[in-house]
Amino acid sequence: MTVLVGYLPTARGEAAFAAALEEARRRGEDLVVLNTPRSGASVSTDAVGDEAVSGLRSRAAEAGIPLHVRRQAHEGDAADELLRVADEVDASVVVIALRRRSSVGKLLMGSTAQRVLLAATRPVLAVRAPAAH
Amino acid sequence: MGTERDAGDHPSDVPETPTVQEALDAADAPLDEEPPPPAGTVANLVVAVLVTGLGVATVVSSLALGIGSAREPGAGTWPFALGLVVVVFGLALVAGARRTADAERFPREALGVVAGIGTMVAFTALIGRIGFEIPGALLCFVWLRWLGGEGWRTSVLVSLGIVAAFYAVFVGALGVGVPHLF
Amino acid sequence: MDQLTPVLQGFAVVLEPQNLLYCLVGVVVGMLIGVLPGLGPAATIAVLLPLTIGLEPVTSVIMLAGIFYGAQYGGTITSVLLRLPGEASSVVTVFDGYAMACQGRAGKALGIAAIGSFVGGTVSIVALSFVAPVVASFALDFGPPEYTALALLGILLVATVSGGGRVKALAAACVGLLLATVGRDGFTGAQRFTFGDLNLADGIDFVPIAMGLFGLGEILHALEERHRRVQAPPTLTRVWPDRADMRQASGAIGRGSVIGFVLGILPGGGAVLSSLAAYALEKRRSKTPERFGKGAIEGVAAPETANNAAATSSFIPLLTLGIPANATMAVIFGALLVQGVTPGPRLVDEDPELFWGVINSMYVGNILLLIMSIPMVGIFVRVLQVRGAILAPITVMVTLVGVYTVRSSVFDIGLVVAFGVLGYLMKKAGFDPGPLVLAFVLGSLLESNLRRSLLLFDGDPTGFLTRPISGVLFAAFAVVVLLPLTTRLLRGRRGGPRDDDRSGGRPDTKELV
Repeated sequence: MTVLVGYLPTARGEAAFAAALEEARRRGEDLVVLNTPRSGASVSTDAVGDEAVSGLRSRAAEAGIPLHVRRQAHEGDAADELLRVADEVDASVVVIALRRRSSVGKLLMGSTAQRVLLAATRPVLAVRAPAAH
Repeated sequence: MGTERDAGDHPSDVPETPTVQEALDAADAPLDEEPPPPAGTVANLVVAVLVTGLGVATVVSSLALGIGSAREPGAGTWPFALGLVVVVFGLALVAGARRTADAERFPREALGVVAGIGTMVAFTALIGRIGFEIPGALLCFVWLRWLGGEGWRTSVLVSLGIVAAFYAVFVGALGVGVPHLF
Repeated sequence: MDQLTPVLQGFAVVLEPQNLLYCLVGVVVGMLIGVLPGLGPAATIAVLLPLTIGLEPVTSVIMLAGIFYGAQYGGTITSVLLRLPGEASSVVTVFDGYAMACQGRAGKALGIAAIGSFVGGTVSIVALSFVAPVVASFALDFGPPEYTALALLGILLVATVSGGGRVKALAAACVGLLLATVGRDGFTGAQRFTFGDLNLADGIDFVPIAMGLFGLGEILHALEERHRRVQAPPTLTRVWPDRADMRQASGAIGRGSVIGFVLGILPGGGAVLSSLAAYALEKRRSKTPERFGKGAIEGVAAPETANNAAATSSFIPLLTLGIPANATMAVIFGALLVQGVTPGPRLVDEDPELFWGVINSMYVGNILLLIMSIPMVGIFVRVLQVRGAILAPITVMVTLVGVYTVRSSVFDIGLVVAFGVLGYLMKKAGFDPGPLVLAFVLGSLLESNLRRSLLLFDGDPTGFLTRPISGVLFAAFAVVVLLPLTTRLLRGRRGGPRDDDRSGGRPDTKELV
């Protein structure tokens, strides 16, 4: 069993990672970080660079938690990819971040978090990023 | 034709200067992407036979044009010579069909290519009758939604946006005579 | 002083605000499209052809030169930042350019590439300004046999230095030559291969062929590729080359300029070959070759200088002999023909304004490139974030509507689609469309000169060999054909398996192809 976290190089991604690290320590399980930008472009702001990954690694090492980083682009829906990987790594919990959205924003863009919550067959831990100052 | 190869007196982790062929291949298929599976011998034979057939057809129709002679070249002389050369190359491809590895197999995604070609054919057939706007929007929509896997909203908005931009540029700003409905 | 007057007049033409603007637009659009993966300079120019066709010949050529330089530099940007060379002449730039970017020296790498490109380009233009009129006056004596030999040699060399197998490249070239015969025969007036279709009576236009094979074919082929690799936006440090870097790279830039200029004149992959040769030379000369591949600034400066110098000097055979040296030049040649300009030895005398306009627009294009490249890098990275799914239909529409605007012909839209399909199938089957386009462009020139020569020699083909210049050219032709065959035979005799044998199955068989 592992702890799986959907990670983006943003403040809420950081919040999710911190929560997932804590969760993995508590459960004594490995932590799997999934970074899945949408495929189709050569560059995406959702992708994490090598430097950021080594940052995550050193934090996990400090906490004494084995870390597996998966960087793979997805087609279609990010929620489907997250749940697919959750099955693959047999996640005991899936950690995701929530984003503050206006109702119009939700209507237009839909919500990955909502789809994960509705479709998951495993426990999901949803984390909200600390409000910006 | 290659450039000087490294003599090998340097440490092995220094990159070897590639040959021209390697450079061309590298530019064609960027790193990390697995090369598409090569086509089988049958496909290579089909290609080779097609090339040969094209050569034969050219030779036959050149004969009808009158191949003349070296002293008095006719309309068919040059195509006749070319046809013969194509036949030779085609036969060389037939002979080498089993050892050819530069052709790609058609993956399942090739169906998308067929669909893409279909939209372009439809566009060509319709533009003369109803202008470019509707066929253009439909083409963009199909490419975005089904060939590109974009969402419904993105597909609708972007295809309308593209047509609007084209209308503004070609009809509005440049005043080029593109057939248009509105 | 008389000689300088047309040169200066050429500058006056280029520096007209309108022309400067078009050059600028060309550089920017060329760079923007050049950074897109899969679209090299030839494809970029092909897709943008309709833009240039409504313009005055001089303006159109100036814009083409801008697009050309922009497209060249676009490949450099992606090589350094993303390890995606995009075109063969930037492949070696990846080694040290990307290493520098990883060390936080991306700005230095891009800066030295821009400076090197500028120097290489400028050296090449200056040399070209002196060499081109000389070559042109020399070529004025060329008769049909010489042109036959030149065109054949050019096609052969381009087919030799192209992707895919050699037989396939030559077969593609023959198909290009055949396509050029479609339409009314200039000598007898007979209709050839028109199948009774009036649209084909005047032959096939160059624009749909280039746009279809290079543009649509590439896009269709990209539809079945799934790009799994998505990178984080590269961090751009604002650290530009300093005095020490310049000192370190200056030798590489100087040598790269010379290599690029000389190799660029040769038909075939001048830019590719010169970038590889310049890189190899720097590595060999270096006292610390182990730095190469780990961020050596010479490793970026040398190939980038050389490929730009070569790209520039490849205009020499085009402008003075009317023979394009590679696929990109073939597209430019086609664009000039559409404008009613026939490049060749008479161009300097008959249309000096255009001739010097072209050459001087290269100076301007180079300067604009140097000024524009660095500040715009951020924008390019943005462009790369747009998904291919959105860019593809836009490019398709640009192609389909664009080709219509050239001759207001729906038939041409059908043609561009047909050639798009052909381009896709050729790519699948391992045929490079480059030789086809080049051969198509040279087709009617080759046929008419061949027929004139035969009339001249009274049907005796040995006449080609007894004339000194055409004899030498045909000897070169024979060398290019026979050299690979003999090396293969020698290798075969040594008994070792070919190192680049990709078939895997039977390494002991000698390849015929």
